[in-house]
Amino acid sequence: MALIEIRDLVKKFDDKRVLDGVCMDVVEGEVKVVMGSSGCGKSTLLRCINRLIEPSSGTITFRGQNITDSSTDVRALRQSIGFVFQQFALYRHLCVLDNITLGLRKLRGMSKLDAQAKALHELARLDMVEHCEQYPAQLSGGQKQRVALARALAMDPAVILLDEPTSALDPVMSREVGQLINKLRGENVTMMCVTHDLVLAGAIADRVTFLDKGVIRAEETIAHLSNHHADEQVRAFFGSAA
Amino acid sequence: MSGWGAFLGDVQEQMPLILAGLLQSVELTVSVSVTGLLLGIVVFYFSLSPRVWVRRFTQGYISFFVGMPLIVLLFLMYYGLPQWGVILAPFSVALIGFTFNVAAYNAAYMTTAYNGQDGSELEAARAQGFSRFQIFRFVSLPQVLRLSIPALTNQVICNLKDSSVAFLIQYTEFFARVQELAASNFQFFKAYLFAAIVYLALVTLIILAARFIERLWVIP
Repeated sequence: MALIEIRDLVKKFDDKRVLDGVCMDVVEGEVKVVMGSSGCGKSTLLRCINRLIEPSSGTITFRGQNITDSSTDVRALRQSIGFVFQQFALYRHLCVLDNITLGLRKLRGMSKLDAQAKALHELARLDMVEHCEQYPAQLSGGQKQRVALARALAMDPAVILLDEPTSALDPVMSREVGQLINKLRGENVTMMCVTHDLVLAGAIADRVTFLDKGVIRAEETIAHLSNHHADEQVRAFFGSAA
Repeated sequence: MSGWGAFLGDVQEQMPLILAGLLQSVELTVSVSVTGLLLGIVVFYFSLSPRVWVRRFTQGYISFFVGMPLIVLLFLMYYGLPQWGVILAPFSVALIGFTFNVAAYNAAYMTTAYNGQDGSELEAARAQGFSRFQIFRFVSLPQVLRLSIPALTNQVICNLKDSSVAFLIQYTEFFARVQELAASNFQFFKAYLFAAIVYLALVTLIILAARFIERLWVIP
């Protein structure tokens, strides 16, 4: 059984159908990559999974439970799903260590010492220990994204959702983030990444899902999508972007 | 303009009363700065409520108390309420009246700072599973307070200066004692100049303290 099963997911903003019957599975240990042009509904899809946005219809099953149900404990659900944002979204008044320990202490009820030990463990995993006392404004974009990943990992989530993790980074830092995601994939961390960065997509996944105007148009390897896919629009997206 | 020696002699003679008045002024200023900040935080919190009627109520509160002159509020409570059988001591009236007034201003300052906050941090906190109150307590408020230090400092200065208004409801604070001094020796210019210098010294202390706090709390 898949960790996340999405069936006929629809999200409407007024009359606009941003997601139009999306069906998708995320299997444990997999890195699922969803690509598409800006405004195709990628970020909305991620936000529906942890209920930052309420779906209009359809179901999302997480660990066998329908989480679109009104009886779902949304806060508990969110604590099981890590989220990494495009703009990092670190708490700017807290140093790196406190950014990570805040959730552990206030949501998991860990003691300060235990939370710090856990945070330092995650920072070591991402080579960021020496920056633990710095504030977000003192870090580079790539370092901020590492901290955002460490913050998500520290909560031991079942899956990490990555929303355009490289779009605010230069190519060098983007590659770093790609390597990091690959490293985590090697550690069996389940991730779902939405991006329009073909280099990142190629680096972290064999197959990608192509979303267009809220509809899944294809799920294939990038090479197949750019060269052999029947739909010209799909070929154009992958060809031109490459 | 002569006779500074004699005037200072009068000041020295009335020093215990003047110091007692000064203490009353400081006590009122500190009290209303603390209670005004605490109530201001509460009002600010409710101004972010997802419920429309709660937001409207807090907006109404802010508009009402920012719009009403403080002296009218104090007179209403000190001279008006006894007609309904409610008699309060001058300090109580000043404390309650100032607190309602100062809280409205502080809430408005904090709302302005909040509006300049990065919304993605709040979304990240929601995505982590924090409750609305936890997001307010651990993410919004610490940032808003730091960003509001200059405005909140100005309010503390206003509180000190406005504390002289409490003299009109029989609260014998510093300015009331200076009035008594002036009335006793008719050295009005010197007495009020003396009051101005003392207020200026206190305001300087507040500014220095605020700068210290700002440096301590600065977000890099």
